[in-house]
Amino acid sequence: MKKIWLVSKREFLTRVKKKSFLVMTLLSPLLIVLFYGIIFYFSINKDVTDSVKTICVVDAGNHFNKQLKNSKTIHFDFREITHKEAIDRIEAGLYYAVIEVPEELKEIKTLEILCIEQPSLGTLDYIETQMQSVIRNSKLASNGINQDLLNEINQTTVQLKTLKITDTGVEKGNSGVTTFIGFIGAFLIYLFIFLYGVQVMRGVIEEKTNRIVELIISSVRPFQLMMGKIMGIAMVGLTQFVIWVVLVVVLSAPVSQLVMNLLDVNPEIIAQAQTQSQISSAGQESIGGLGGFIADLGQFNFLLIGGMFLFFFISGYLFYGSLFAAIGSAVDNETDTQQFMFPITMPLIFAFVLAQSSVVNSPNSSLSVWLSMIPFTSPVVMMVRLPFGVPQWQILASMASMIVGFIFTVWLASRIYRIGILTFGKKPTYREIWRWLFMSN
Amino acid sequence: MIIQVNNLTKRYKNHLAVDNLSLAIPEGSIFGLLGPNGAGKTSFIRILTQITQADEGEIFFGGEKLNSSHVLQIGYLPEERGLYKKMKVGEQLLYFAELKGMKGSEAKSRLKYWIDKFEVHTWLNKKVEELSKGMQQKVQFIATVIHQPKLLILDEPFSGFDPINAQVLTDEILNLRKEGATIIFSTHRMDSVELLCDHIALINRSKKVLDGPVHQIKQEHKSNLFELVYTGNTISSNPVFDAQEIWNEGEKRCVGIVPNQNISNRELLLNLMNQGIEPISFREKLPTMEEIFIKTVGISNLENHEENLAGK
Repeated sequence: MKKIWLVSKREFLTRVKKKSFLVMTLLSPLLIVLFYGIIFYFSINKDVTDSVKTICVVDAGNHFNKQLKNSKTIHFDFREITHKEAIDRIEAGLYYAVIEVPEELKEIKTLEILCIEQPSLGTLDYIETQMQSVIRNSKLASNGINQDLLNEINQTTVQLKTLKITDTGVEKGNSGVTTFIGFIGAFLIYLFIFLYGVQVMRGVIEEKTNRIVELIISSVRPFQLMMGKIMGIAMVGLTQFVIWVVLVVVLSAPVSQLVMNLLDVNPEIIAQAQTQSQISSAGQESIGGLGGFIADLGQFNFLLIGGMFLFFFISGYLFYGSLFAAIGSAVDNETDTQQFMFPITMPLIFAFVLAQSSVVNSPNSSLSVWLSMIPFTSPVVMMVRLPFGVPQWQILASMASMIVGFIFTVWLASRIYRIGILTFGKKPTYREIWRWLFMSN
Repeated sequence: MIIQVNNLTKRYKNHLAVDNLSLAIPEGSIFGLLGPNGAGKTSFIRILTQITQADEGEIFFGGEKLNSSHVLQIGYLPEERGLYKKMKVGEQLLYFAELKGMKGSEAKSRLKYWIDKFEVHTWLNKKVEELSKGMQQKVQFIATVIHQPKLLILDEPFSGFDPINAQVLTDEILNLRKEGATIIFSTHRMDSVELLCDHIALINRSKKVLDGPVHQIKQEHKSNLFELVYTGNTISSNPVFDAQEIWNEGEKRCVGIVPNQNISNRELLLNLMNQGIEPISFREKLPTMEEIFIKTVGISNLENHEENLAGK
């Protein structure tokens, strides 16, 4: 135990003392915020990325009554031109596309759009929505419903607020915030396993190629060296994580003030976002009511979620980190790792992708439950499921399988590691590695 | 005996690395572990340093069965060696000492001793990669001995060392022996053996083929050859001895003399004097370790070869 501690102390200190550690610790949250800021910016200001498209509508029968509404990027131009003129003007670049509405048509079901390039789904969708709403409105009007009543009908919205039945009574739930919390946790675990797992692997390869490893294992057991390395790097990760949490706590007030100011300065952007996204009423709320968002955050059992986060953070890392160590020991240089990395990174990426889609959409489906039981995927998937409320037995089962899982991978890795670090030269095959498992010391 | 090895065997998948090896290493000796590349020297050393375990047989360290508490008493310089390049020299040496099980304060005082000895104070805060290769070799050596091991195992210690550092290493090996350490010296280079070792074991194809004190082995392998340098009448073979000229420089000649009968040196010399020569030097020619090595290994390799052929 003392030797594991000595090894991990060295791993920790040599990494934390590097300048790059400080730079990465301070810079990476900024980069992540910047990254999401840019995505957020472009999703609100779509016109920044899109030029204006003018669509000519040849509507001799006046089916649309010149009522198609322009958006920031799509303009409608009602004009009577011939088919040949239409083609010429598109080729000349005057129009993005031309829609010819047959004059004699009684009921519009399909129309043709004439253009050079295939329009994006978004563009087509916008035009279709506009046309549908004009036709629907005119149908309603012809059936005696006046414009005022129509406007009122169109503004109807219904919101569902969740009430969750728990052991302590009924609690207010919130899907948006729930998704957010779970996702942040899953993302951090995913990131941590990848970043630091690869560091473990690199460290092992470094010792091997430096040929220092034989000197060291004449003083410590290979298992102690491997565990020391894995734990030391885990401590580096936790340190980094703690620094981030402190930074967030210290900086969150001024930064959120800054964001508020920015939003105040630019009320147009919010207004646009609200009018443009007709579907996402949840989105409107989260932009409009930061106060509500923070209040919703208070609804969660942070002790449980925080504790589980820490558990899966560490056990998930141990599970994968030891596998990374095994890979590092089996090869002589980093270029040889790819063949072995693939089967290990696959389930992790798979878990992360599914967490964003299937699991968030139905956190209690049998797929979600199974994924949160298998140690390969459970650290990421369970974090997404947790805020939605998970039965206690499932949490316990998931933890138990995680513990069994990492004990197994640590054992497996140490069997490979003890042979691998002293094997130089040719890259081993899977069959050889399999044999190492059962070889005597 | 600091090390007693009984019937040690180590098998790998396709070959026998150590085959029923028994040997004893006297305390305070410089013990040469000799053999061609691939003979099984490093496999044996890895068992001794507890990096791997033997399949059969046992090792005693100072009378006790070898166990993990002996790690502190062994210093090992592997053939494939290296240091953490990005780590400072001082921190690195302390780390190695602590890994061996030394207390921090003790390790520091030992570090100071070696730093003073090699006069390398300025290196302590330098990273290993900033040092020249020769400097790194000294650091590597300190890393091997910093915990004051009773038993020092050096695997091909001179490979990669420049002549100056090789001399420093030789001096330190002798010094450490004087202070009571036992040194196992594994090599296939015979010149250094001649100079340093007092006991050897010769290993070939996983088996010990020869061991014992160097002077005794030389006696056993001598071919009863004398070398005479003289002037005067030319000596020719007679019933008492065979003579063969080795070189001549004008008047001065050198002959190799092999007595035919079991006669004493005194009788041989009298016989020679009677031939009317003026002697300059007369000495018994003992074989060098290299000659013994080639002779023994050559023969056993040949035998193995024939066995293999016969087997097929």
